[in-house]
Amino acid sequence: MANRDSITIDVDQETRTAAKLEKVPMLAAPKPAKRGLKKGIAITDFVLRLGAIAAALSAAATMGTADETLPFFTQFFQFEASYDDLPTFMFFVIAMAIVGGYLVLSLPLSIVTIIRPHAAAPRLALLILDTVALTLATSCAAAATSIVYLAHNGNSSANWMAVCQQFTGFCQGASGAVVSSFVAVVLLMLLVALSACALRRT
Amino acid sequence: MKQISDVELGDKAKSSSPRSGVKKGLSILDFVLRLIAIVGTLASAVAMGTTNETLPFFTRFTRFRAEYDDLPTFTFFVVANAIVSGYLVLSLVLSFFHIVRSNAQNSRVLLIIFDAAMLGLLTAGASASAAIVYLAHNGNTNTNWFAICRQFNSFCERISGSLIGSFVGVGVFLLLILVSGLALSRR
Repeated sequence: MANRDSITIDVDQETRTAAKLEKVPMLAAPKPAKRGLKKGIAITDFVLRLGAIAAALSAAATMGTADETLPFFTQFFQFEASYDDLPTFMFFVIAMAIVGGYLVLSLPLSIVTIIRPHAAAPRLALLILDTVALTLATSCAAAATSIVYLAHNGNSSANWMAVCQQFTGFCQGASGAVVSSFVAVVLLMLLVALSACALRRT
Repeated sequence: MKQISDVELGDKAKSSSPRSGVKKGLSILDFVLRLIAIVGTLASAVAMGTTNETLPFFTRFTRFRAEYDDLPTFTFFVVANAIVSGYLVLSLVLSFFHIVRSNAQNSRVLLIIFDAAMLGLLTAGASASAAIVYLAHNGNTNTNWFAICRQFNSFCERISGSLIGSFVGVGVFLLLILVSGLALSRR
């Protein structure tokens, strides 16, 4: 019998430990469904990265090897065209090579996100670096597009002649390289979107 | 049992306030950066769109008037900058919502995706115009493209200056994606 000054309520041992265990949610493992989803996103990220590597490196290679020499010459005109005749195409080749190299180096980081789906730091690093690579790739693709458009159509207001009518092989190579680089840009945007979706806390 | 739950709830509330303070600071930074980007892209679109120069002489063969819609790349630049500044004005609403409710996750992901798309559009417009401006300043001997800046001085200055605001917008978008990613990844 307790006295009137203090009342002790005897909770038995099992209910007390059960209550303690319920109230420790932070240390519990995340639900397996969410972990599987993040792992799926990481695997998709890896596969898309491989595709983007192929697109970027093939764009750089196609532009770098597109050159054409016409079989006649005069005093005033040069009849040989290659990528280093236009500084924009040089920027294109170098920048696409840099983007392709970055994507190859980011493959280990992507593998780390597959192995540890709940670590936030590698995913945040991938998000930032992929955004920088997206900017560089979009920049060189758009600059090369404007020069290829000018080469196909010319411009009467600025008296710029359409060069593609003479150098058809060079023009085809340059246009194909630009298309491939835009494929790489789209894949990089998908990679950024996937990283953003996977960064959400469970 | 009631005592245990009260103590633990109290601990949780105390430990989350410095973290939500950081998120709120990041959201305010996001809002301010968006205002800067609006100014930059809008100024670029206006500066490029109002260029107009007519030289005081003419011959039979050459036109001596330069406007932004003479080059399709510059038209794309003006349109892209206008679209991006319109998007930024609309996204101010979502950014303000993130200041008020810093723990929103799905809307932040949506904002990152839209920001990445607009970054691509803005970068494309800015670098295509940069290539044409470079060509206008230097010309190209291999393709016989003449440097038109030698004749149209003020047109050239205007189009070169309007690129600056656009590239500032590109830098701000990079920072915006970084800030949103940081706010999303913090617990």
